[in-house]
Amino acid sequence: MKNTAVKIATILLMITLLFGCLDGRELSELEIVIGIGIDSADDPDSIKLTAQVVNVSQLGLSGSGGDPDSKPYWNAATTGTTIFEAIRQITHKTGNRLFVPHCEVVIYSKDVAKQGLYKHLDFFLRAIEMRLTSFILIAEGKAGEVLDAKPQTEELPAVNIYNLVKSYGFTSHLYDVTLKEFSSRLISEATAPVAPLIKVVQEGENKDVQVMGLAVFKEDKMIDELNMDETRGLLWVINEVKSGVLIVPTPEESGVAVFEIETAKGKVKPEITDDGKIIMHIDIKLQANLSEQTTAEKLARPEIFEKLQDNMSEVVVQEIMSAYEKSAKTGSDIFGFGDMIHKKYNKKWHEQLEEDWEEIYKTIEFDIKVDSKITKTNLLKNPVTQKLGG
Amino acid sequence: MNVERGKINVTQLFFCVTGFVEGSVLLVNFAVDMTKSQTWMAVLASIAVAIPVIYSYVALATRFPGLNVIQINDIVYGPILGKLISLYYIFFFALTFSFNNRDIGELYKTFIMPDAPMIFFLAAFAVTCAYAVHKGLEPLARVSHIIVAISFTVMLLIFLLLIDIMDFSNFLPLFDVPLISLIHSVHVITAIPFCESIAFLMIFGSLDKTEKAAKYVIWGLISGGFILLNVAVRNTAVLGNTETIWTSPSFESTRLIDIGTVLTRMDLLIGVIQTILIFFKASLLLYALATSVAQILGLKSYLPILLPLTAIEVILSATVYQSPVDHAMTTQNAGIFYSTPLLYFTPAITLLIAVIRKLPKSKRRKRS
Repeated sequence: MKNTAVKIATILLMITLLFGCLDGRELSELEIVIGIGIDSADDPDSIKLTAQVVNVSQLGLSGSGGDPDSKPYWNAATTGTTIFEAIRQITHKTGNRLFVPHCEVVIYSKDVAKQGLYKHLDFFLRAIEMRLTSFILIAEGKAGEVLDAKPQTEELPAVNIYNLVKSYGFTSHLYDVTLKEFSSRLISEATAPVAPLIKVVQEGENKDVQVMGLAVFKEDKMIDELNMDETRGLLWVINEVKSGVLIVPTPEESGVAVFEIETAKGKVKPEITDDGKIIMHIDIKLQANLSEQTTAEKLARPEIFEKLQDNMSEVVVQEIMSAYEKSAKTGSDIFGFGDMIHKKYNKKWHEQLEEDWEEIYKTIEFDIKVDSKITKTNLLKNPVTQKLGG
Repeated sequence: MNVERGKINVTQLFFCVTGFVEGSVLLVNFAVDMTKSQTWMAVLASIAVAIPVIYSYVALATRFPGLNVIQINDIVYGPILGKLISLYYIFFFALTFSFNNRDIGELYKTFIMPDAPMIFFLAAFAVTCAYAVHKGLEPLARVSHIIVAISFTVMLLIFLLLIDIMDFSNFLPLFDVPLISLIHSVHVITAIPFCESIAFLMIFGSLDKTEKAAKYVIWGLISGGFILLNVAVRNTAVLGNTETIWTSPSFESTRLIDIGTVLTRMDLLIGVIQTILIFFKASLLLYALATSVAQILGLKSYLPILLPLTAIEVILSATVYQSPVDHAMTTQNAGIFYSTPLLYFTPAITLLIAVIRKLPKSKRRKRS
């Protein structure tokens, strides 16, 4: 009798363990989202959300055999007043909820960015399924079109965009801004958020995407853009330059020497002098290889190297100053100088600088030291055109 | 007469205390609202403040070897007042177990299985704790070794995996937060992870050699506190100024581990470790509750009332808070009021009265 009671009790207990299955979602029920685009809709209060969903059965089949019209993805688009509403409304078109843990990029159109991103950012940070390491981008034109531009070497547009942003180090002309980085800059009162810009380029019949430059925000509204050189100026200072191409005039000015950046390190030390002037001491250490030259000069000599190194440092200083001057026009502290001063001069920050930081930012002076070294010249010692003179 | 027949040794006590303190590893995040990037200071200060308080518990237990706190109260305060004070202890154990149970229920409901009803998590977890307590104190103490070993390894592993995205300048500026917030934070951290080990007053009675307990308990406190410090430092270094917006900073910082595209989304690891640690802590609390109720009712063993108490606790956990927001508000603000007299003053006062009245009488006999 007791044994039967124990057995029945055990069975009942095991049945209660089945409640964990309530959350189970089978693979066929999942709509795997790899990228999300937000555009403004016709109605001024609404947004149009485009979710790029992977069509698992078509993956790997496009191009080779199979129907040439079928794509391995489809862009589900809906409108709604908020993001979560739009995402749920996609179930009007499919029977399943979207599965966002694989979402790698979130693209906002420029119109939406100019109106303000607070409204459209909360969902991505709050949703349990989203990743904080997804990239944020701002699209010229429509985000939906950017997600539709089929790349040449990659099957899925969103994955292509993710790879493009991730490999920013090759040129250092853009920056990989994750959701976490963006929110961190947004929360900080002094620092201005940035996000890379993406646009669709039409070359004949092909539509390609191009990512370069940064959008600058004031709080959550986009106000300005940085071009490639200005972006790299920013990256020099925040120590995020990985590699890139530096075009440097040669001493005799008959052409240019082109260097590939091998390593770069940037350090910033803020200083507030006694009479209240703010000076930023920026220390950049740079190592580069001579990858190309367009002149017939023999550049591989120590004294020429000295001059080339000086010229290279000049180029770097110019990039940094162009980034500063562009951002100073709008008073956007893209470098994070405000936070650095806060960390070092806590009292002065709270008493004097915090309130008018936008104006004070425009008065910062710089003391930039660039230490460039040319480490190698690859396979050529002397240019092949040396006999042709010039 | 003791309701517990088993004996544990001081090394097991050390691991029990460490595991118990670590059980509140996610509760450090309650203090983040108040002290932001200086939570590590609050943790260090709390360890310093908690050491004398915990020492008063151990001193009380050492003075009355082999007895648990209900019996001590009866001796020191007399039968009627002693039982009233013991009821205060029982009330505290009951509430604390329900808060911990609710903690685990909320963790699962928010992060891991949002669609399942919470009552099932609460019931399943409480029944597992009841099973562990049913086995007795000795198995729990033996298991504490491996629980502490696993949790230390996992916590250090997560710290190492996050080192490349840590930014230690997030700790500057050093003294930005007003002192009153720091004191509030120290109060919360001292009360919850450290002083909840008042439950050990029910366990000290089962030690085989009570004289050496103090050293091991204090060391247990410090090693548990080291893990809390680890969590506070890691969250501030990784999340920086975004630390205050998340429901659970520990979850978010672990989510950022992204190594070689293989080691991603490790937040489940936090869920697993937290489950193991809270299970250990809750089992010890349930043990304290069951033995104290059995002792006060004069029963020979706590086994008959264990399941009914568990059932009551499940209902209590289900109804005590409406949402995690409620939980956070109450823990930060109200929780410290009902628990402060008990945690800081009652054992110390008991000890003082015992010294004045020269109790226990057998010690006096030994002197004469």
